[in-house]
Amino acid sequence: MGSARAPSALLGTFRAASHRPAVAWRQRCCYHSHEYTQPAPFPPAESAILSSALSHVPSYGFTADALRLGARDAGYMDVSTNLLPRGVFDLINYHLVTQRLALKNAVQFPSTADQGKKLGIGAKVRTLTLARLRANEPIIHRWQEALAIMGQPSYVPTSLAELARLADELWYLAGDDSVDSSWYTKRASLSAIYSATEVFMTQDKSKDFIATEQFLDSRLGDVMKMGGFIGALSEWTDYTAHSAVNVLRSKGMRV
Amino acid sequence: MNAQAARVLFRRQLFAGGRRGVGTVAREQHRCFSCTARQSQQPQTPPKTTQNRDGTTHFGFETVAEALKEQKVRGVFSSVASSYDTMNDLMSMGIHRLWKDHFVRNLNPGRNPLTSGPYEQKGWNILDIAGGTGDIAFRMLDHASNINHDAHTNVTVADINPDMLAEGRKRALETPYARSPRLNFIEANAEKLDMIPDSSIDLYTVAFGIRNFTHKEEAIREAYRVLKPGGVFAVLEFSKVNNSLFDAVYKRWSFSAIPLIGQLVAGDRDSYQYLVESIERFPSQTEFRDMIKDAGFLVPGQGWEDLTGGIAAIHKGVKPA
Repeated sequence: MGSARAPSALLGTFRAASHRPAVAWRQRCCYHSHEYTQPAPFPPAESAILSSALSHVPSYGFTADALRLGARDAGYMDVSTNLLPRGVFDLINYHLVTQRLALKNAVQFPSTADQGKKLGIGAKVRTLTLARLRANEPIIHRWQEALAIMGQPSYVPTSLAELARLADELWYLAGDDSVDSSWYTKRASLSAIYSATEVFMTQDKSKDFIATEQFLDSRLGDVMKMGGFIGALSEWTDYTAHSAVNVLRSKGMRV
Repeated sequence: MNAQAARVLFRRQLFAGGRRGVGTVAREQHRCFSCTARQSQQPQTPPKTTQNRDGTTHFGFETVAEALKEQKVRGVFSSVASSYDTMNDLMSMGIHRLWKDHFVRNLNPGRNPLTSGPYEQKGWNILDIAGGTGDIAFRMLDHASNINHDAHTNVTVADINPDMLAEGRKRALETPYARSPRLNFIEANAEKLDMIPDSSIDLYTVAFGIRNFTHKEEAIREAYRVLKPGGVFAVLEFSKVNNSLFDAVYKRWSFSAIPLIGQLVAGDRDSYQYLVESIERFPSQTEFRDMIKDAGFLVPGQGWEDLTGGIAAIHKGVKPA
């Protein structure tokens, strides 16, 4: 008994010793949400109904009928759709949230060691945005209905918040780590580009959505140009203002 | 019963008279127009649970024996049955109709045979508890027939009070459902629905009724029993106003105007005094939501929807499948 305990105790100390640096490292580091598993975004009953309702969207659209059929598939009844207080909007929201969360696993960038050249952040954002747009493919012919419902005044704030979360997710997954004011402008411009491209895609009849891809590229190009222009403009303004102040100072003005 | 009520009334008047002469003696014991509002603003100390250990419960702000509450509630609703609609209109300024319409439209009863595809069950089985006058039942049937083109959904109206049921039967004659099998009236206590088998109901509704139940938890458990898996428990009931300024106005209205309107129109002050007191004693949105959760229901979203700033609220629960 005693001899049995001794090795285990010894092992315990070793283990403790070997674990200590890791624990200390954990403690020194701040909390990073990506290191922990996140709770499921929807309760089980809701997600069962909504996920089976989504499979009826291509034929029934974003309607209460799709919800009812989904409820039946999930073993519930027509009346159980009362579990979703916002009705069809909950279905749209489910699609948006699950597709946003799926991006993390859907797109994997090769690590830098594998390739000689590192993929730029701009290219990564493009890939991610395209991946997110392609997730709408099965229901794109019904997506205008969803856009109309999202545009209803009571749902606009939630829809915009979800768009902001998507833009943030795209930049985060692309590896953007800016901590200056460009954090805001990047997300704002990507939100605008994404929503414009999404609307374009609902009317895109080209094969494999080539036109959508081109549209996205030219919008990203616009932002790049705009960004460059604004950067140059602000640099010029900054330089000119400083020179003006210095000229005035050299003339003896107390500025 | 009648003689006793008369005696109580007489005693109140006597007290009220005495107060004017003597001053502020025994302020708590009488209720009159000028002091009910004040009384409502004084901090009440309602017992947290609806029933106490010694077998008493509350009846408005009074504490009565449990066995007596049912009888007293019956008395209140028997006396208001005939003027029920007029009084509701006057007290809520007609808004109760909007609440009830919204309640029914939101539940969307009925199965549309054109869009819903094949399904073994035709129509819904709806149980409307405390729905004596048929307010909710007629709306349900109208919605099912006119909006969802469903000729099979049926409503069972249950009420503990035969006078309210008689009023409902009388009104049913003016609707197309009077002689159809789609509408039934039964006299039943919501805490003991023995005549209704387990897992047989799609939708269980209570509109402005659960407040008067002696044992609310028991009624919710009974609802859970009779509902099919996936069935919905829906409650439309007075609740707590969120905005404190609006609450002050609302309390003023309910404690001073409503008993007065009751006295003038229905000739029955005490019943409407009970009404406003029972509203005051009803649990808040979160408490009631937790009661529904505790019975085993899944609640949608936050669990309730406020109407008119929280004067009324719709609570829902779904029995897990």
